[in-house]
Amino acid sequence: MSLAIRKCSSDLLSITKWVVRREYRLLSTLPENIEPANTDVDEKAPRTGRRPRLQNPVLEYRHIYPEFLPDPNPKWRNSLREKLERADMLKRRAKIDIPEFYVGSILAVTVSDPHAQGKTNRFVGICIDRKGCGLRAQFILRNVVDHQGVEVRYDLYDPIIQSIQVLRLEKRLDDELFYLRDALPEYSTFPFDMDPEVLPDGTPVPINDVQVKLKPRPWLERWERQELKGVSNIEEHLKEKDRKRRELRKEPWEKYDLMKQYRRTIPIEEQSEIWGEVYNQLQQMHVSRRKVARKRVLATPKPQLG
Amino acid sequence: MNQAEVTKLVSKLRIKIPPKHRKMSSPEGPEGRMNKLRKTVTGLFKYERIELNHNRADEARQYAERLIAEAINHGDCHKPTMEMADYWLLEKELVHKLFKVLVPRYENSNTAYTRMLRAPRPEYSYNTEKTVLELRGNPYPPLHNKQANNRQLLQNILLDAAKYEYRQTKYAEMAENIGKNEQEKPSV
Repeated sequence: MSLAIRKCSSDLLSITKWVVRREYRLLSTLPENIEPANTDVDEKAPRTGRRPRLQNPVLEYRHIYPEFLPDPNPKWRNSLREKLERADMLKRRAKIDIPEFYVGSILAVTVSDPHAQGKTNRFVGICIDRKGCGLRAQFILRNVVDHQGVEVRYDLYDPIIQSIQVLRLEKRLDDELFYLRDALPEYSTFPFDMDPEVLPDGTPVPINDVQVKLKPRPWLERWERQELKGVSNIEEHLKEKDRKRRELRKEPWEKYDLMKQYRRTIPIEEQSEIWGEVYNQLQQMHVSRRKVARKRVLATPKPQLG
Repeated sequence: MNQAEVTKLVSKLRIKIPPKHRKMSSPEGPEGRMNKLRKTVTGLFKYERIELNHNRADEARQYAERLIAEAINHGDCHKPTMEMADYWLLEKELVHKLFKVLVPRYENSNTAYTRMLRAPRPEYSYNTEKTVLELRGNPYPPLHNKQANNRQLLQNILLDAAKYEYRQTKYAEMAENIGKNEQEKPSV
């Protein structure tokens, strides 16, 4: 009898540990982990000239919340509108938990749908693209349902979204996964009853280096010209003509175009201002969510784990 | 609406950046444009002061500023920055100059690293605006001499004379007043 009790208590402990870990995981790429890495680099290399400037650790938020940065196109910049949008985004984030996710992560999104049974609709899929900024930020989920590819585009701050859950947090080798549309269906098939996977505390977001196989042509885009890392069999489907064209279309000078890079990014000074404005609220939200999640799980441990 | 790229961090330039690049017509297309700008940037880093057409100067200035900013931010042990300097500076000794001379020069400055001044237009020329592009802190004599402090300038000589005259009249008035007061005092 006593043994059984002990076992139960140990189980409970393990569950709590698991939960705590899970909650820490949410923001693993945040400054706490980034700072020591920077100092390491500094110590390792004895610099002849000068050492690089230390970056503001708050800037690491740009990977987790890229939609807080405005569109870099100067025609569309408006500081007041941007500020109001950020305030609205924070208000929405206070209502609903929008977790950290990346292109390549597998998400489950529940939206309210007046025509569905139970008034809600849940879709599971891999995030193949993330774009837009401010309140217009959106992401596309892809899945194969009954041998038919399905893609749903959600607005991140849409009020009809009831919950966003990350089932598997990972990145892929590319920034956009549109090539999954031309890949074999097994690469974009995910079961709707998938269990959320847990990453241990403090690990960086894993990069899934799976290389997909494309179906034979015709394709939706000229994938061979895009220098994709996540496709394995692209050469099989090419003719000599395509290879020649690819060589002609290459733009090796583009990576040296410093002003092109500059026009696509928001400079450090502006970013620090933006993150300084939203940092406190995001941090508070994160901490309070962690507390609530801990309480909830301690009250009712999940049976599947015990 | 596009999302800003987050993989690279750049520091803000201290010059005005037009919303779009100039195409710089060239038979080789965008590659030719880059080659033209490379030549100009190399010339600027070598001679520190060059005179050229406005369009090309303004375009090359942005690239020169970015290159210096990258060098200041990342230092000489950062491989991508080194590759960038290697691409932009056609003469390789200038890479050493960038990291050993220019970076220490501009490290603590809070203004732009280059200066662009309008040069006189050549007579009977087409409508080409000429510009002088220079690195700040270059060893040459300054282009715009500050005339306000030049005592030998005619306007300043005249102003000085006028001030002197005014002062003399004031002194004379004061002397008269003192004399009057002294005359009045004994009577009271």
